[in-house]
Amino acid sequence: MRRVLAIAHNTIREAVRERLVLVLGLFGFALVVGSQALSPLALGEGRKVVIDFGLAGAMLLATLLAVFLGSSLLHKELERRTVYSILAKPIRREEFLLGKFLGLWITTASLLAGMAGILAAVVTVAYGDTPGTLVGAVGLSVMELGIVTAVVVLFSSFTTPALTAFFGISAVVAGHFAEDLRTFASPGAPAGVRALSEGVYWALPHLDVFNARGLVVHGIAVEPERLAFAFAYGALYIGGLMVLAGTVFRRREFR
Amino acid sequence: MMQEVAPLPMLELTGVSKVYRDPMTLKPFTAVEEITFSLRRGEIFGLLGPNGAGKTTTIKMSLGLTRPTRGTIRIAGREPRDREARKRLGYLPENPCFYDHLTAREYMALVGSLFDIAPGTARRRADDLLARLGLGGDGLKPLRKFSKGMTQRLGLCQALLNDPDLLVLDEPMSGLDPIGRADVKQILREERARGATVLMSSHVLAETEALCDRVAILHRGRVLEMGDVRSLLESDVIEWEVTVDALPGPLAERLRSEGHRLDPAGSRWAIRVEEAGALQAMLRALTNEGIFIRSVDPRRQSLEEHFVRAIQADGRGSGRGNRASGRALRTEGAGTP
Amino acid sequence: MIARLDRGLLAGIFLAALLVAGAALVHASARPRLDRSLEEELLYYPSGLMVRQAALGYETAAADVAWLRGIQYYGEHRLTDQKYDLIGHVMEIVTTLDPKFVQPYVFGAFVLAQEMKQPERGLELLERGMRANPTDWKLAFEAGFLHYVCRRDNAAAARFFTWASRIPGHEPYVERFAAFAHQRAGNLGMAILLWKHVLATGNKYMQDVARRELGRLGA
Repeated sequence: MRRVLAIAHNTIREAVRERLVLVLGLFGFALVVGSQALSPLALGEGRKVVIDFGLAGAMLLATLLAVFLGSSLLHKELERRTVYSILAKPIRREEFLLGKFLGLWITTASLLAGMAGILAAVVTVAYGDTPGTLVGAVGLSVMELGIVTAVVVLFSSFTTPALTAFFGISAVVAGHFAEDLRTFASPGAPAGVRALSEGVYWALPHLDVFNARGLVVHGIAVEPERLAFAFAYGALYIGGLMVLAGTVFRRREFR
Repeated sequence: MMQEVAPLPMLELTGVSKVYRDPMTLKPFTAVEEITFSLRRGEIFGLLGPNGAGKTTTIKMSLGLTRPTRGTIRIAGREPRDREARKRLGYLPENPCFYDHLTAREYMALVGSLFDIAPGTARRRADDLLARLGLGGDGLKPLRKFSKGMTQRLGLCQALLNDPDLLVLDEPMSGLDPIGRADVKQILREERARGATVLMSSHVLAETEALCDRVAILHRGRVLEMGDVRSLLESDVIEWEVTVDALPGPLAERLRSEGHRLDPAGSRWAIRVEEAGALQAMLRALTNEGIFIRSVDPRRQSLEEHFVRAIQADGRGSGRGNRASGRALRTEGAGTP
Repeated sequence: MIARLDRGLLAGIFLAALLVAGAALVHASARPRLDRSLEEELLYYPSGLMVRQAALGYETAAADVAWLRGIQYYGEHRLTDQKYDLIGHVMEIVTTLDPKFVQPYVFGAFVLAQEMKQPERGLELLERGMRANPTDWKLAFEAGFLHYVCRRDNAAAARFFTWASRIPGHEPYVERFAAFAHQRAGNLGMAILLWKHVLATGNKYMQDVARRELGRLGA
C-alpha cells in the first residue's frame, strides 16, 4: 500500500505543480463567484442559478481535468521514459496503475470539493443559508469522477492520449445517455439489435445514478438509501474497470 | 579437491531471443538472438556494441520491462517479473529522465518508498549518495533544472539507494564529462568491492576497458565475442606508435624505405609500426643509433573498427548465427550447463 | 509460459466482467425504487433559450434528446399517475432548440389541452409553431381541432381549418372539416368525426385518447 500511495502522491504533486489544476481551480472560482453576478438577471431565482451554474461548472471542470490529465497519464511517463526506472523497482505493475488512478481521482475530487466549498460559501454569504444538501450531491459526483477516471486509466493503459480522451469523453456522454439507449432500441427493433443494446445498456456506466444536482437546486437532500446504492454501484464498477486495466497493463511491453 | 556448491548466478540468460513485430506491417524484427550468459557474483560485466546491437533490449528483458520471445532469464534464480527479484536490484536507464516536477530529494524519497525503505533511513542514504555523486548542494533543486550530467549522476544515486546486489546500468557514462566518468568508474569499483555484481552497457570500448572484468560484444542482436576484457583487447593492437626526440635524415630515409610511417610531432617524431617483429627490429636499430626513445604505445582499434573486422571474419555475411555462437563458446564457456 | 499468461488474461477479464455484472445487478435491483432521476433532470433543464446557447451548434441533436426525454416522461406518467406537469416545459425546450421540428408542437399541444385540460397553453404552443412553420398545414389543423374539441369555439375552429386548407400539401379531408365547422357550429357530429380522424391517423397515445373520448360521446 505504501508503494501505491507513493505513486498516488507523486501523481497528485505532478498535477498540482503542472499548474493545470491551479488554472482550473481559478477558473472554477471565477465561475462560482461570477455566477453571482448573473443573479439579478434571474428574477428572484438567484440562489437557484448560482447553485445550478456552480455545481454544473464544477463537475464539468473536474470531469475535463480527469479526462485530459488522465489521457496523458501514462503516455507522458512513456515518452519521457520516467516509467522505466519506476517499473524496474520492486513494485507490481498493478500497484503502479492503481497509484496513478488514486492520485488522479484524489486530484479531481479535491478540485470538485474545493469548488463546492466556495459555492457553499458564496451562497451562505449572499443568501444567508448554507446549502447543506450539497454534501450528498458532491459525494455522488466524486463517485462519478471515480468512474470517469477509471475509464480513462483503462484506455490510457493501452491506447494513445488522443484516443483515450476521445473514449473518456464518449464514456461520459454515453454514461449520461445510457437510459436513452434503451429507448432507441425499444419494441420495433430486431431481436439481435435489442439484445445488443440491452447488453450495452447494462455494461455502460450509468452516470445518471450519480447526478443529484437537480435535487440540491431545490433543497432536497439525497436519501441515504440512494447514496448507499450509488456508492455500491460505483465501487463495483470502478473495481471492474481497474481489474481490466491492471490485466492489460501487466501484459504491456516497454520497449 | 573440495566440492563447492556454486551459488546461483546473479543474472542468468539462457537462449534469450526477442522478436519485435512492426505494429503496422507485422514484419518480424529480431532485436536479440539466442543470447546466453551469466554473471558471477562480484564482477563487472560489460555489454558492448554499436547502437542497435540489442544491448538495451537485453537489459530491459533482464528487468522484466519486456518479455523474451524465447529463452529464460533469472535474477538470482527468480523471474524478473517477480517483485522479489527486483528488491536487490538497481537500474540506471539509458539517457535517464526523472520526474521534472520533483526535487532530487523528493525523487529519492519516492524511490525509497518503492523499495520499502523506512523514510528516515532513505533520507539519510539519499543525502549520502547525493553528496557522494557531487549533488550534495542540489537536493532541493527541481529536476527540470538539472543538466544531462547531473541527471546521469542522480540516476546512479537512485540505482544505489537500496544497496543493490545487482546493478544494471545502461550506458552509465553517457552525458558525463571526464570528471564525471572518473567518478562513476570509482563508484563502480567501490560497489564491486562491496560485493555487488554490475551489468553495464556501452558503445565505447575504451571506457570499459579498465573497468570490466568480462565483456560480451553484441552485434545485430547476437553475441560475437565474449570473455575476459584484456584477452579480447590484446589481439586488437593494430600498430605501435614510437615517439623519438630527434631523427637524423639518413635514418629517417631508411625507415621510410622499410615502409614505416613517419610524422613530425612538434619537435619530436612519431614512427608507426604495424607488426610486432618489425617493431623489435626498429627499436634495435634506433638504440644502435643512440636515439632516445620517449615512448612505445600500442594503438588499439576502436570498437567500430573491431566490428568491421569481426563481421568480416564472421563469414562475410553468410552462415549467420552459427559462427557467432561458436566464437562465443570458443572464447569462453557461456554458462550453459 | 504463453498458456499461463493467457490464463492470467482470462482470469482478469473474468473478474472484471464479474465486478461489472455485480454493478449492473446493484443497478437493476435498486433502480425501480429510486427512479426519480428523470424528473430531476427535467427539473434541471433551464429554459430553452439557455439550452440553445449551451448546445454549441448541436441544437437539433439536443432537441432530439430532449424530445426523447419528453416522450419517456409522458410514457412513464401515463402508466402511473397521469400527471404531466413538465411536458409543456420540455416541449418548449424542444421547439426552441429546433423550431422546425413540428411533432413536438402537435404532441405537446395535444397533451396540454387534452390531458391537462389547459387548451390555452396548447394553443399558445401551436401558435409559436405556426409562426415558425407557416407552410405546415398540420399545425393549423391541430389548432382548429383544439378550438373545436376543447374550447367549443366553432368560429375559431373554422378559421384555422380554412387556413390549413389553403396551405399546399394538405390532406383532402381538411376542406371537409372546414366546411363542417362553418356549417354545423356546435354539432357533436363534428367532434365525433374529428376523433375518428385522430383514431385513424394519430399515434398510439392519441388513438387511446380518441377512443376514450369517442366512448364518452357514445359513438
